[in-house]
Amino acid sequence: MIRNLRLGFGRPDTTIFGYFAARYISTAPRVTVKPLHSRKTFLIDSYKHMMEHNPVVLFAHYNNLLKQENATFRSQIKGIGGCMTSVRNNLFQVYLRNAHLPDPCAKTSKNQQNKSHPLLPLFKGPTVAISFPETDPAKVAKLLKLLEKSADKLFIVGAKVESEVYDMAQLNQFKSLPTKPELQSQLLGLLHILSGAGLVRTLESGSQALYLTLQSHHDNQSNPESSEKKND
Amino acid sequence: MITKFFTKVVVKFNPFGKEAKTARLFLSSIPPTQRVGGTSIQNVILSGNSTEKPVVKVFFKDKSEMEIDPSTVTFKEIGNFFDRHSRKLHLKESIESQ
Repeated sequence: MIRNLRLGFGRPDTTIFGYFAARYISTAPRVTVKPLHSRKTFLIDSYKHMMEHNPVVLFAHYNNLLKQENATFRSQIKGIGGCMTSVRNNLFQVYLRNAHLPDPCAKTSKNQQNKSHPLLPLFKGPTVAISFPETDPAKVAKLLKLLEKSADKLFIVGAKVESEVYDMAQLNQFKSLPTKPELQSQLLGLLHILSGAGLVRTLESGSQALYLTLQSHHDNQSNPESSEKKND
Repeated sequence: MITKFFTKVVVKFNPFGKEAKTARLFLSSIPPTQRVGGTSIQNVILSGNSTEKPVVKVFFKDKSEMEIDPSTVTFKEIGNFFDRHSRKLHLKESIESQ
């Protein structure tokens, strides 16, 4: 009896007991279109990770890179602080269509899919994604300068910055911006300078007026006698 | 597609437009050895609101040039279009070499 049980635990799917146990242990098994441990599922998951954990992802077209060209581009981009990944177009398109859903690998009906994702038209030919883990326009400017020299081999076609999709013209504007912390400090400095002109007071006035109204109401409520006397 | 007789290739396209597929496949069909060996490739990225028309322009070894709008044709058709002239050059070359 004990032996049988042990056998049952060893291979849970061979006995009825094991079958039910296995079902209840994994309460919600992941259902994917392709097998769970297949390369396609892995790639879609990796694209999801790349798009969600990197605020800046640039998409570039590459023309049959030689092995050494590929290696130099990769090392140069790594030197700037980015990462170059060549992308499988169809799988990336599957991810983009299902990006708003909790699991992009799961089976979805056609009307659930987002077929008008603004990035979708970029995946029509050899494409690489260059991802940066933080929003830094200076790094993008460096990268664009780097790729300028070798525009016949690798060139940017579009980008995702934070949650927006940029084309080349918008990206050229973006690269000249200062970094995010710099912008925040500039705004703070501006507020400090303008505080003499009453900007801070204007910003505060709304909440201050609310506080005063409530406070007077509170005063009225707490000692109605005194207020009545006042009214008399 | 015969790319042997191309000396210069100019491609203008908007990557978000419908001409992008043809233009990008055309660019990627030029072998890297040829890029090293003399064919110069120029590409201009157009933005959505530019008034310039997308174009694929090829200069051949006999100084003639051909151009086509990639938004109206598929990659296969563009290949056939340029092959028409390339085949002439190929024939001429094979006759002269004998």
